[in-house]
Amino acid sequence: MTKAKTLVSSIAFACLFSTGLTTLAVAAECSGTIKVLAQPRDGLTLLEDYKSEFETLSGGASFEIDYLNENDRRAKTKADASTIGKYNVYYIDEANVALFASAGWVAPLMDYYPADYDYADFDPGRQKVATYDGKVWFAPITGGGDLMVYRKDLLEAAGIAPPKTLDEYVAAVKKLNQPDQGIYGTALRGQRGSGANVWRWMPFFKGFGGNWFDGKTPVFDGEQAVKATETYLELFKYSAPGSQTGGWDEAVGAFTSGQVAMLIESTPLVGMAIDPKSSKVAGKVGYLPPPAPLTGGGYGHGLAIGAKANRDEASRACAGLFIAWATSKENEARRLEANQFSELNRTSIMTSPKFAELYGPDLGQALADTGKVTAVNFWQSPQWPDLGDRWGIILEELITGTRSDIKEGLDELDGFAKDLVARSQ
Amino acid sequence: MKQKNSLPAVFLTPAMGILAVLALVPTAYAIYISFQNRELSRPDGSLIGFANYIDLFSDRRFVNAIGVSLTWEAVTVGMTLLIAIGLGILLFECVSPRARNLLALLFLVPVILPRVSAAFVWKFAFHPLYGIATYPYKAITGEPLDLLSNPATALATVALVDVWQWGLFFAVIVLKLLETLPPQPFEAARLDHARTWEIYAFIALPMLKAPLISLAFVKMIESLRAFDLIYVMTRGGPGIATETLDMYAFSQGFIESGRISYASSMAVLMMIATSIAFTFIWKRVQ
Repeated sequence: MTKAKTLVSSIAFACLFSTGLTTLAVAAECSGTIKVLAQPRDGLTLLEDYKSEFETLSGGASFEIDYLNENDRRAKTKADASTIGKYNVYYIDEANVALFASAGWVAPLMDYYPADYDYADFDPGRQKVATYDGKVWFAPITGGGDLMVYRKDLLEAAGIAPPKTLDEYVAAVKKLNQPDQGIYGTALRGQRGSGANVWRWMPFFKGFGGNWFDGKTPVFDGEQAVKATETYLELFKYSAPGSQTGGWDEAVGAFTSGQVAMLIESTPLVGMAIDPKSSKVAGKVGYLPPPAPLTGGGYGHGLAIGAKANRDEASRACAGLFIAWATSKENEARRLEANQFSELNRTSIMTSPKFAELYGPDLGQALADTGKVTAVNFWQSPQWPDLGDRWGIILEELITGTRSDIKEGLDELDGFAKDLVARSQ
Repeated sequence: MKQKNSLPAVFLTPAMGILAVLALVPTAYAIYISFQNRELSRPDGSLIGFANYIDLFSDRRFVNAIGVSLTWEAVTVGMTLLIAIGLGILLFECVSPRARNLLALLFLVPVILPRVSAAFVWKFAFHPLYGIATYPYKAITGEPLDLLSNPATALATVALVDVWQWGLFFAVIVLKLLETLPPQPFEAARLDHARTWEIYAFIALPMLKAPLISLAFVKMIESLRAFDLIYVMTRGGPGIATETLDMYAFSQGFIESGRISYASSMAVLMMIATSIAFTFIWKRVQ
């Protein structure tokens, strides 16, 4: 059976690489160095091993990637794109695609993305978040939704079935919380930021029926937001120490080090949790879609063409070629081969026999199921980072106890949102 | 004679010219855009007078940042000098000259570390689950200690790292200053049965008044530039408990809003306030 699987995946790989050789035939004429500003990703690091391949494909161009962590990358891309425009390619994400597109800092991707590279093959959810104002702005390098990830051994020992509803989830978290034994019920994100604590809070807000805006009028300041915040703060009582001001790294670190019973996090967590190299709990992990009525936080990060550094059509075409190559089926196949679960974005790869062989049928099913509840939870506007970050600060104050009145915090945000809309007009 | 007088000007003019361009052009530009409503996403802006400055005083984060900055300045400068003087005297009194040199070398290590590296090392050391600095507390009480997530302790914890870097370095300087003092006043005081603390309080430290004031000024300026340490360890949190003025200006300019005019107005106010404060303190000291 294993031999048969290996044979099937070998054939699949051969097909992918033959497609790659076909695309090599449509080589462009590029030169110099394509400068990329990104955040650390295993998939991008892997690309650097194949520089010579891109050099041949592009007719002589090379590339150089500068890495900064997520918050710094966001600040630096914004500063660079709005001023000198030193980078040909920016790593952008769902939270700032609207800002970058509306400010003209990036060029429409599909004008320069070679058709052979099959953009339609990307996961539809990721295509959706890469699109703003009817145009595609980036090619996904990572993305997905949310999964509820839990310790099967702890749930079984406590006689708890994996929760399907939020009420069951809250009850399970409370029951599983045993700090005296070094196990905490859950791990949330408390660190301020539209991509940090607000990101984890939004599935509650949207799940309870909340909305950000009605046209240009803020409508978030209602009972749904209050209930979402109350639930989030209630769960924080059982969240691992360090998560009160921590983000993705702290939450994931606490789970993979075996100190957390269950959590709802972005899908890449699964890849890390089941990998014995990065997880102490590999082999004990189960995953399901988030409990109802929570929505999954649909997200996507990817590579976009910088408008300032690529002044002419030729250089934009070269940047487009680089992006197409970096996110191509061949490179995704390499990432799959290197067991980089969180770096996979193409439907053809995620439904391939090799994927099923590596991760089993359960994960494929869980990803398909969570896709049904994945939604765009944030306000799709250039002003979103500003609004989201402001709510992130208020939420962090509520979590750490420097503020206790939820409604007062939401009222403050409402005033801020009105100013923001007025300023943008 | 005339040639001799003009020579310094000949050599100084190019350097001063470069310095003037480097310092004055950005300053003038910052002042200019602080009167505009420019944002990173909108390169065009219009003059709006003092609107940014007026808005600042109804902005709770700005008012909070003033308080945090003043507290940070007072705590880090005060504690650094106290530690430096105390440790310097202790080394001078209790440790042999050879051991002093070895300890001085060790005390220089923290300040040689890049600020960002030191911040990361200490951030992990203070982690409530895995941190080495919080481990004894957890081992004794069974409860985790989360100093950086607690609004009451976060600023003091970051200040501790700053004092660790600079207090030890300044202790070495104080030690070397004490070694340069003439021994006769100390011997005379001992003959008059002065106690050790009296010797230092009434003889040694007054003799070192000028260099100690210089050290205080150096630390005051250095403490104003603690952005990297706070940014890595707390990012201004929890909430806005450790958000200093430079941290808030950077957030407004580049992290959250891209409101560079608003951020510039903060920078201009900081520049004016520090110039006035330093001039005042300098005059008082003189």
